[in-house]
Amino acid sequence: MNLLTALAIGVLFGVGIFQLLRRNVIRSVMGLVLVSNAMNLFLLSMSAYNGEVAAYAGSSGQISDPTPQALALTAIVISMGGFAFVLAMLYIISVRYRSSDSDHIQELKH
Amino acid sequence: MSLGWLVILPILLPLSGAALGLLLRKFARLQFSLSLVAMLAALAASIGLLLYTFNESPVVVQIGQWPAPAGITLVGDLLSAFMVVMSQTVLSTGLLYAVACRDKCVHYPAFYPLFLILAAGLTGSFLTGDLFNLFVFAELMVISGALLTASADDRFGVEAAYKYFYISLLASVFLLLACGALYASYGTLNIADLARRIQASPHLPMTQISMALLLAFFMVKSAVVPFHFWQPDFHAAAPTAVSAMLSSVIVKLGIYGFLRMTSLLFLEQAGLIRSTLIVLGCVGVLLGGFSAIGANHLKRMLAYSTIGQIGFILVGIGWGTPLSLAAALVFAFNHSLIKSAMLMLAGAMASRATVKSAAFNVLEGIGKASPLAGGLFLVGGIALAGVPPTNGFISKLVLFKSGLEVQAFAALAVIGAASVLSLIYVLRAFMRIWWEMPPSGVKTKPDGDRLIAPALLVSGCVVFGLWSEPLISLSMRIVNWMGEPGRYIQAVFGG
Repeated sequence: MNLLTALAIGVLFGVGIFQLLRRNVIRSVMGLVLVSNAMNLFLLSMSAYNGEVAAYAGSSGQISDPTPQALALTAIVISMGGFAFVLAMLYIISVRYRSSDSDHIQELKH
Repeated sequence: MSLGWLVILPILLPLSGAALGLLLRKFARLQFSLSLVAMLAALAASIGLLLYTFNESPVVVQIGQWPAPAGITLVGDLLSAFMVVMSQTVLSTGLLYAVACRDKCVHYPAFYPLFLILAAGLTGSFLTGDLFNLFVFAELMVISGALLTASADDRFGVEAAYKYFYISLLASVFLLLACGALYASYGTLNIADLARRIQASPHLPMTQISMALLLAFFMVKSAVVPFHFWQPDFHAAAPTAVSAMLSSVIVKLGIYGFLRMTSLLFLEQAGLIRSTLIVLGCVGVLLGGFSAIGANHLKRMLAYSTIGQIGFILVGIGWGTPLSLAAALVFAFNHSLIKSAMLMLAGAMASRATVKSAAFNVLEGIGKASPLAGGLFLVGGIALAGVPPTNGFISKLVLFKSGLEVQAFAALAVIGAASVLSLIYVLRAFMRIWWEMPPSGVKTKPDGDRLIAPALLVSGCVVFGLWSEPLISLSMRIVNWMGEPGRYIQAVFGG
């Protein structure tokens, strides 16, 4: 299970970074989404296999560390809002330029 | 009324002001007055914090009474109180500029609330004592900054906001990776606890990696050289009131982070960080200076100049002696005043042109009608270049003196040459806008943005240039405090 998580994180990072470097802006945002999900998994894997039961008050047995779970939850919520905003901006940009190729989107430079 | 409020109020007041402001969105004047009152009250609270920490130990608040490593801690020590006072002073003038400007975007109901959230995010990032909480506050700051830019009158506002937001999300990924790596190695995210545990075992396999990731995060925040490409686009397209804040105080978050990293978190690796900062600072000073000379847009020129000025501060942090650290702090404070004033003046001139733009070919000769703005720009410009009797001269004087002390002549030669570059680009801009005759047929609008806020800031520049002793002695005291990381750790754990 440990190895599987590590592999999943690695694959997500790899695919994410590959997409992040593409010329198409929509693909590059999707790459960023994948990278940030890989990172959430990474945060979660910090503690996933240390304990056996969830950390409720009064539960018995070896309790897993709740901090990384809280971190991942916060990061997911923030990145959800962030990506909604990015996609909204991307919509405006691609409508204005009628293209999603990053080579065409450069009037700001002039 | 316990002392803890001194740390909570600078964050809480802008946040609650923003919430109330959204409820009052139908009443524009009332909303602005409320925002200004909240901002000034927060500034008063943070000045109180600075005065308290000047003589006593830092103020530590454990939120919800959870003791230090478990709960979230807010720490107001001398360094963070100084940074908060600096940024809230400039943010208050930003509000004053916004109310008197001709931009359409300041009439949007969410403008002032977003501005206050920007202030709260920046303040919170300075005051937090927890690495993950830093991520939350930094994200708050980034989202509100990007929204404010996306709403700009400039038709490229959305594009600029997209660039900034994209790169900031990437920076947040760096920070979260650093959080994960540090948590896996040391089992804590509290900065004081981390500092203690990293000191106890400084060479775990993930320590250097997380250090590099954290460094990358702060470099993106400060637009340090390899991570600077988004910055001129973003700062040039934002509404003037916002871009003056972004280019002056928001970029200081990275400076604060570098100071914390070298003086508290990574003491063992501080030498490595410092030498990196010197190299990047020298590159940034030259690159920023030459790009500013080549720019054909006033706001873009000032944004490039920020890259250069941040380079000066980095060199100061890199030398790492008490005097050079104090010089970095003085430089950071003075640069905030100067750069916000200059950007406000740039925006004020753009608002007087018939085509609303800050490109030099539009602004040529526009300044003939407003000599007051020209005078302010000239004083601010020579402050940027470091000519007496302005505060820019004081910051460069202290920096160069500290460089002579450590005999770093190569770096001194580079930053000395770059100072000449800043004189060139500032005077060139002044000549083109205020000295040359306007091309025939070009009209100027009778009035534009008011000059109250930049006038306040420029007079601050002159006052701190003539009467710089308190600022320097305050900085020396902050450096003394930073030199004893043990006391910070002790204060957080209540000993």
